[in-house]
Amino acid sequence: MKINVYLADRLASILFQVAGWLSVAILFGIFALLLFNGVKAFAHVQPSEFFLGTIWNPAAYDRPQYGIISLIFSTLLITSGAMLIAVPLGIGTAAYLAEMAPASVYRFLKPAIELFAGIPSVAVGFIGITVVAPAIARIFGLNNGLNALNGSLLLAIMALPTIITVSEDAIRAVPTTFREASFALGASPWVTLRRVTLPAALSGILAAVMLGFGRALGETMTVLMATGNALAFPNGFFDPVRTMTAAIAIELGETARDTTHYYALFAVGAVLFVISLVVNVLSERLARRFRYKNE
Amino acid sequence: MAKKHFLYIVLIINFLSCRENDNTVENILIKGSDTEVNVALALAEHYMEKEPLVSIAVTGGGSGTGIAALLSGKTNIANASRPMNAEEYHLATSRSIHPKPIIFGLDALAIVTHASNPLDSLSLADLGRIFRGEITTWAELGGPEKPVSLYGRQSNSGTFLYFRDRVLAADYAASLKQMNGTAQIVEAIATDPAGIGYVGIGYLSEQERKLTTSIKVLKISSLSNSRAFSPLIYTNISSGKYPIIRPLYQYINGQPHGRLLDFLLFTIGEEGQGIVRKSGYYPISESQYAENLKLLDSEMAIK
Amino acid sequence: MRNKVEVKNLNLYFGEKHALKNISLGIPEHSVVALIGPSGCGKSTLLRSMNRMHDLNSTVRIRGEILLDGHNILHGNTNPVKLRRRIGMVFQKPNPFPKSIYENVAYGLEINGVTEKDKIREMVEQSIRGSSLWDEVKDDLHKPALDLSGGQQQRLCVARAIAVEPEVILMDEPCSALDPISTAKIEALILRLKERFTIVIVTHNMQQAQRVADYTAFMYLGEVIEAGRTADIFGQPKQDLTRNYVSGHFG
Ligand SMILES: Nc1ncnc2c1ncn2[C@@H]1O[C@H](COP(=O)(O)OP(=O)(O)OP(=O)(O)O)[C@@H](O)[C@H]1O
Ligand SMILES: [Mg+2]
Repeated sequence: MKINVYLADRLASILFQVAGWLSVAILFGIFALLLFNGVKAFAHVQPSEFFLGTIWNPAAYDRPQYGIISLIFSTLLITSGAMLIAVPLGIGTAAYLAEMAPASVYRFLKPAIELFAGIPSVAVGFIGITVVAPAIARIFGLNNGLNALNGSLLLAIMALPTIITVSEDAIRAVPTTFREASFALGASPWVTLRRVTLPAALSGILAAVMLGFGRALGETMTVLMATGNALAFPNGFFDPVRTMTAAIAIELGETARDTTHYYALFAVGAVLFVISLVVNVLSERLARRFRYKNE
Repeated sequence: MAKKHFLYIVLIINFLSCRENDNTVENILIKGSDTEVNVALALAEHYMEKEPLVSIAVTGGGSGTGIAALLSGKTNIANASRPMNAEEYHLATSRSIHPKPIIFGLDALAIVTHASNPLDSLSLADLGRIFRGEITTWAELGGPEKPVSLYGRQSNSGTFLYFRDRVLAADYAASLKQMNGTAQIVEAIATDPAGIGYVGIGYLSEQERKLTTSIKVLKISSLSNSRAFSPLIYTNISSGKYPIIRPLYQYINGQPHGRLLDFLLFTIGEEGQGIVRKSGYYPISESQYAENLKLLDSEMAIK
Repeated sequence: MRNKVEVKNLNLYFGEKHALKNISLGIPEHSVVALIGPSGCGKSTLLRSMNRMHDLNSTVRIRGEILLDGHNILHGNTNPVKLRRRIGMVFQKPNPFPKSIYENVAYGLEINGVTEKDKIREMVEQSIRGSSLWDEVKDDLHKPALDLSGGQQQRLCVARAIAVEPEVILMDEPCSALDPISTAKIEALILRLKERFTIVIVTHNMQQAQRVADYTAFMYLGEVIEAGRTADIFGQPKQDLTRNYVSGHFG
């Protein structure tokens, strides 16, 4: 009996260890694959052109250009725009759901938000072209709304369910005793939320924001459809943008294997991987700092 | 490493072609141009009705995608709305693949603007200037004081390349908005008073009635002082008066046999061409038909 | 001595459950009143109705009156947020905020409109001194409050409560999670605080009630069975139930 328990314990621990290392190995393998293929692009493309060039035009009429800067800038432009919209809105909604919403409203709102997460990105992209873009054009007096702002709005919509759901859980996980202590000092519900509950839930909320950011960063179809995909370097939210994911998604299928273009797309993938890795590590650090403060 | 992979690919291709040789191919894979998907589907359906033992699978993805699949032995027919380029031919040679182009229809590219655009016609030269970014406002063409807003397909589309090579002979303006499909170009231009873009005539003839209120199809002239013609009138195409016409290709690897050959002959034959016509494209000329036969017939000659 | 708080015919329901039954009780000003009784008899429930903590629970219904200086705090036009500034609370489990020691005490001041930094600093120090914690934490004011020991945390919670200068302090078993030395410190603190505040304390510890309370109320199954001077309740209880309970025969 004793031995059995011991054995089961050992087995479980080994299983979890294997699973853990396996995911690390897979992640590492993906990165190695991207890097291995990506590096080959530099046989024909100067690294300085790749990392400093502002024009990405591999399908050029005579001289292909492989500058990644505008892709990176476009990606960061629309994802940060999306976060600017989605983070306050998402945390606000989560706080409302967790702390204030009457049961009747909650019963309706919660499934509606979860349903949102299930909308396929093609559908969001289509709405972007037919509804959001014309609306942006009308509001800002533009000829068309196929621009970074459109992308940010749509990505915000797509990141919201993640941010709301994970933040709501984080807020609910804050012990009631903190809230009671605050109320007992004469704090209003609003002050309690702002000064006690949200700060206590911060590490969870940060995780929510990061997940949302990752969702926005990796989203392909929507931005590919609704942001105009122009090659020109964008000057702001009213210009069309082509993101890294869109470039890969559009071009990889048509590109013959083992060509410079093919390898260059892997290099773009590797850069995207590094960006999301950096963002994740930074947020993990940030979250840990707050967690230490809290515990 | 790479050599080994290459060897495998060759082996797989050999294996595939062996199967074709013994005349038992009942599955035909067609992949490529999104422009051609609908007409290819119609052709496949009609052929399968006649030959119930044959199963034909048609998928899109763009001309480049189809050609890439042909070069890696993943499809029997690559549909392409543009000819293969030098790099692709080079790759084919290195993999012992022998692509043959079979032209089975003609497509006109229509130039569309927002319905409110006062312009009715353009010369081919002006069209090129617009899409190269040399003309940036409609005022330069006698229109309203609005910046031109360019729409085109994405670079994996044969249309993108065809239009670039035929009309621009240079790079597109960087401000070109690269849309994900023809429908999206039309959607976008329908709400953009400054928009201009190109779409395959096949798409327009299907949707024409619904769209006339929101978009306008321009007449195009070959020279700046010659007469402009509309692509909506069939005789303008068949007579070659409308200047932006491109062939639609089916690329195959080497000599086709059996069902594959039979299907290809069907597409360029009388019945197939009727279907091409119904799908909104234009039938091939007699000389193109003869050219096709030469490419397909060597096997028959041997027989 | 006049009653600071007076509970009159109080009935409280958690949904269908009748948790407080017709309770009447006076809390004299500047005294310590202990609530004793077996587990589940309604001590916490009664305590929490005095600062309207039940407002957060929509299943609770309350009938009757609780008068603070003669005004019914259960009346609809009493603002519970303002009320809680006058009636502070210390909970059974120490529950400092996940902030620094300093911020824990400053919080109540800031939300109550004290803005001058110097004033806040002065009042924080005063309150922490008032809860006999100053010497232990004066060099660590900006360290996390959750790094303190349980007893220190509870004294910090007392400091936090007295910083906003309430008139009444409610304590729900404030020593139940603490060791004897920390308990003794809190008890000494309570005896000092009653000069400035009126204190109601829930306790399971009979000795503690006798050491700190001027008055004691014995509760049983949602009712107040007997209330009076602590010496009388423990020395010559009038009810058999009370006698059995204080002598340790049940509970
Ligand atoms: N939120 C609640 N919902 C429903 N019933 C409750 C709730 N809180 C308390 N009760 C019930 O009310 C009664 C009184 O509970 P209360 O917590 O006041 O007891 P107590 O005297 O403080 O006990 P203890 O000494 O164990 O803390 C109990 O029967 C309890 O089950
Ligand atoms: Mg209790």
